[in-house]
Parts: sequence; C-alpha cells; structure tokens
Amino acid sequence: MPSNKDIGASPGENARPATFLRDVVAGAALIAIAIAMIWGAQGFPQIRAVAFGPDLFPKIIAGGLILSGLGIGLSAVRDRLAVSPADDTSPAPFAVLPFLAVLAIVAGFALLLPVLGFHVTAALALLASVRVFGGGWTLALIMALIAPVVLHYIFYSLMRVVLPWGILQNWAW
Amino acid sequence: MDLLSILAVIFDPRIFTTILVCTFYGAFVGAMPGLTATMAVALLVPFTWFMEPVQAVAAIVATTTTAIFAGDISGALLKIPGTPASAAYVEDSYRLSQNGKPRTVLFTSLLASVSGGVIGVLILALATPQLANLSRGFSSDEAFWLATLGLSCAVFVGGPSVARNFASLFIGLAVATVGIDVAVGHPRYTFGVFELYDGVSFIPAMIGIFALSELLRNAALGRVTRLSGITVEPLKTAIAAAWGEFSSRWKNVLRSATGSTVIGALPGAGADVAAWIAYALSRRISKTPEKYGTGHMEGIVDGGAANNAAVAGAWTPALVFGIPGDSVTAIAIGVMMMKGLTPGPDIFTNDALLVYTLFGSFLLANILMLLSGGMSVSVASYLLRVPRAVLMPLILLLSLIGGYAITGSVLAVWIILVLGLVACAMLWADIPLAPAILGIVLGQVVEDNFMVSMMKAQGDLTQFFDRGAAAVLGAITLAVWVALLVRAARNVFENRAPPGNTEKQ
Repeated sequence: MPSNKDIGASPGENARPATFLRDVVAGAALIAIAIAMIWGAQGFPQIRAVAFGPDLFPKIIAGGLILSGLGIGLSAVRDRLAVSPADDTSPAPFAVLPFLAVLAIVAGFALLLPVLGFHVTAALALLASVRVFGGGWTLALIMALIAPVVLHYIFYSLMRVVLPWGILQNWAW
Repeated sequence: MDLLSILAVIFDPRIFTTILVCTFYGAFVGAMPGLTATMAVALLVPFTWFMEPVQAVAAIVATTTTAIFAGDISGALLKIPGTPASAAYVEDSYRLSQNGKPRTVLFTSLLASVSGGVIGVLILALATPQLANLSRGFSSDEAFWLATLGLSCAVFVGGPSVARNFASLFIGLAVATVGIDVAVGHPRYTFGVFELYDGVSFIPAMIGIFALSELLRNAALGRVTRLSGITVEPLKTAIAAAWGEFSSRWKNVLRSATGSTVIGALPGAGADVAAWIAYALSRRISKTPEKYGTGHMEGIVDGGAANNAAVAGAWTPALVFGIPGDSVTAIAIGVMMMKGLTPGPDIFTNDALLVYTLFGSFLLANILMLLSGGMSVSVASYLLRVPRAVLMPLILLLSLIGGYAITGSVLAVWIILVLGLVACAMLWADIPLAPAILGIVLGQVVEDNFMVSMMKAQGDLTQFFDRGAAAVLGAITLAVWVALLVRAARNVFENRAPPGNTEKQ
C-alpha cells in the first residue's frame, strides 16, 4: 500500500503525472525544515577541546535534507522542461472535510481526555468518527456505548493501564 | 540450546495462546483492504509493552506472518491487495476468483505461503548463528558503519527515486534527534516540553506514521470497497484442487522461497520487493509466460511463497547486526530495545533462548497459519463485509489509547497527530514511509556510535577506517554512497530511470 507505493507500483502505473508544483513545494518544505534545524542548533553548547558537539549530527541531517530537497525540486524542474504542461493530470479527489474531522477528533481526544476522562472522551470520539466514516447515528450510538466498555476491560482490567476517570471519578470501579 | 527447552517455552500456554491469537489477528487485519501488515504490528506494539520479551517477539512474528498471507484474500476477492506484498500477483488471483475459483486460489496461496515461511525460518535458523560468529567483537567504529550501511541500503532498494528515499530517511533521523543528546546531555528541539527530553516515544511515532496516516487518507479518499457477487466453490473441492496445484509446483515454491529469504535479508527490501522479483523471475523461467497476468496459478505460487519467506529473511540482519530488513523488523527492533534486549551478534550468547524461541515461534506461527488462514479463507466473503464505519473508528480509538497507554501522557496523542500529518504529507509528495522508520529506530544508534568514535578519534575521520573490519565496512558503505549519488545524479540530469528499476536488483 502507500508506504511502499514506489515498490508496489505495477509496471503500467509508472506514468506518473508531471506534478511540478507538488515536487517544488515538497523540496522547499524539506529545505525549510533543514534551515529550521540548523537555526535551532545554534544555541547548543560545544565540547571544549574538540570542534564539535551536540549540533554536529543535526547539522549533518539538515545537510541531507537540503540535498534531498534539492534533488526532488531539480527533478521536477527537469520534468517540467521535458514534459508539456498538458500532461498534468488532476489529482485524485480529496475530501478535505473528513480529513480535517479526523484531525479534530484526535486533537479533541488529547484535549478532553484529562478533563472528561477516558470513557466519555472515547464515546465522543467514536460518535464523531463513525459519522465521519459514513455510519448512521444508530451505529454511532451503539459503538459509543459498547466499545469504551470493552476497551476499558482490555486496557484497564487486563493490562492494568491507568486510564483517567475524569468526571466519572465518583463512579470508578 | 536443547530442543526440549525451546519446545517447553513455545508450548508454554501463554506463548502458545499469544501465537494462536496473533495468527487470527494477523489474518483479520491482513485481509482488510488498506490495512497493512505493518499497521497490524504498529497497533499490536502497545500490547507488547505489557508482555514478556519472548512473548512480545512471538506476537510480532505470528502477526506479520499471517498478515502477509491474508493480504491475498482481499487481493483475490476485491482486487485490492490487503498488503503491498500481495500486489505482484493480484491480477492473476483476482481473475481466477472471478472465474469461480476464489477458494482454490487462496488455499493454493496458503499452502505456498506456509511452505515459503517454513523454508525461510529454516534458512534463518541456520544462517544467523554463523553470521553472528563473524561479527563478534565489533567496536563503535564497526557498529557505526553497520548502522550507516543498513540505512544506506534501505535508501538503495527503497524505491525508484533516490532523492525521495533519502528525504524519508533524513526525516526519520531528524525526528530521532529530538531529546537529550548523547555527547553532553543537552536537550535538543524539545521546545521546553519536559516529556520530550527522552526523545520522541517510539510507539506513538509508529502509530502516527502507519495507522493515523492511513486513517486520514481513508477519510479523505473515501475508499469504498464492494464485494461483487462471485461464485464460491465447495470447501472440499477447493482444498483438493489447491493441493494438486501446490504439489505439482513444489519446485517453484522451493526456488522462490530460497531466493526470497535472501532478498528479505537485504535491508529495506521486504516482502513486497521479494514477491515482485519472484513473480518476474517466475514469468521469465516459465514455459507459459504469456499466461501471467491473465489468471495463472504459477505466479501466485511463486509470489505467495516469496513474500512469506522474505518475512523470515528480514529478521537475519535485524538479529545479527541490529539492522532492520523492513519496516516490521524496524518496529520489532524498537520493541526489543524497549525490553532491554539489544539485537546484535551478542544476542546469541546473551539471550540465546529468546533467539531460538523466535525461530520456534516462526515455525509454529506458520503451521498455525494453516488453521487461521484456512478459516479466514472459508469465511472471507463475510470478513470483507465488515463496514468501514465500524472498522475505522475502532482502529482510530485503539491507536489513540494504545499510544496513551505506554506513556500515560496525552503527549503521545499529540505525537501521533503530528507524525500522522507528517506521514500524510510524505505520502502526498510520493515519499516512501519505510526509510523514515529505519531513521527513527536507528538514528540514536548511529549518532551514539558516531559521537563515541569521533571523540575517540578527536574528530579525525580517518580513524574510522583504522581497524580491519571497520575499514572493510566503511569502504562498502562509501561504495554504496557513490552508487547512490551516481543514481541520484542520473535521476536528475538524464531521462528518468526506467520504471520499476528496483525490481531488477
């Protein structure tokens, strides 16, 4: 699947669209990260007697990021020169709302967990995510009621993970 | 190490049950379209935290083995390979299923997978102790070169674009620099968050990169799978036919399994690369190459045996040198380090029981796969009807709790979120994920050894080549780098390298 897309691509799928903008943005992003790393490494202390310290390795990595960013960007420029712009194919339809909704659920989980406790937060997360992935309200309600209890049993009772009770503290069992 | 004590460990009720349960778990996750074997292991890792070391390793091994096989199930029925390792022969298996032979295909593939896996384990068990003898007595110089070589090889075989593979690797290494540094103990890139002093926790990182990124993509692309009505043949007929196919092609199994164990052992070349090569080779040797891709059993047998053999092969460099052969072994090395076990030549003397139990678990998992795999094939058409709206929310919640359970801190959830987004951006830019995992796992090892050697040598780089073994490893590494640079330069300045050039290696 995606993690090994390059490897898994079958011979017929290799005609990659000329995605000039994408590659230039990716290359620039990698270089930007590298510059941020080098900038962040300025304040690291040096070891006396030798000319290197904790900043050496991050700087090597930043160098690598810059090189690979340049490589991706340059290939894109070359492709742009070689291939006519008409070859650009439109990307697969990308639904922004569900994507953002999943991100919001994860962020909400992190923010609400310490306040509301595991059970309520998990139920809310399930309610929202079943809807995002196309389930009806009935399914969402059933999952929100059952799954947290099952997960509570697995993690809290069997594996002895301390899950926060939050607002249910008085009813903890 | 006597056989009885190994058997005693494997058949210990806890270990045996773990392996059994994990073969079913692997079969389920592997069969689901879009859920990879790596994702199955990433979701399993939080549970291994609470297991004994032997049990944890057995769980990972059993899950991977069956998940790789089970990827064939959705490949044959939906034409969506459950794992990338099944992609090579999906055209054949899908057409055969459409022609009313879904179970025959899958049982043939199961038999090929089981034998491929068993052959792979036997080679693993014979080869690794010998390799370990060779590599005993390595110092930080050799260790540095070995880890660097492993990372470089991962880039070499990762995918067609060298720059993209490098980018992935360096992103992983960059994540690994977060936390207290090894030289003077200075916190780096922690942004004042005290909990980041220990570095980015490995388990949330795995979950973010492999599970959340997949969920996000799934949400955005809204992939809907449909099981069109296919005729299913009776179980008995299917098993008999499968046995006939398998036994008439045992030479293919033997050839593909042996070769693929070696391919699997190359760092970065996992089960998917092995399956592609075995399939391509099989077509070249076959008497009927024109039938490949039109629903031919031969390629399925070769590919099926190949990917499971490669799963075992990937453990060779992981155990002997601490270099992961694929992303699953990268996770496994992370888990072993978490348990205080350091993979490397000394593991055979220090934790011999663990190593031999690992071989035993592999063997047992492959045999139990006949049961779990056979059962999932039998109920496959129901299995694939589990709706997305049930599966995805459960995986999401399991990921979040799994990450939280390890550290007991919501920082884990934030790490999952950030790295999930990073992985999504990488997928968008067509950058592979696997090298990044190697970078995260090996980053600290590389830096530790590099800094120790640098301090010993007072910054004099030539001393990295002073010892015989180090000089050889260093020279090989430099040769790989030169080859990589040449290839990268050709990528940029010449016409694009021929598509699928990784398959030829």
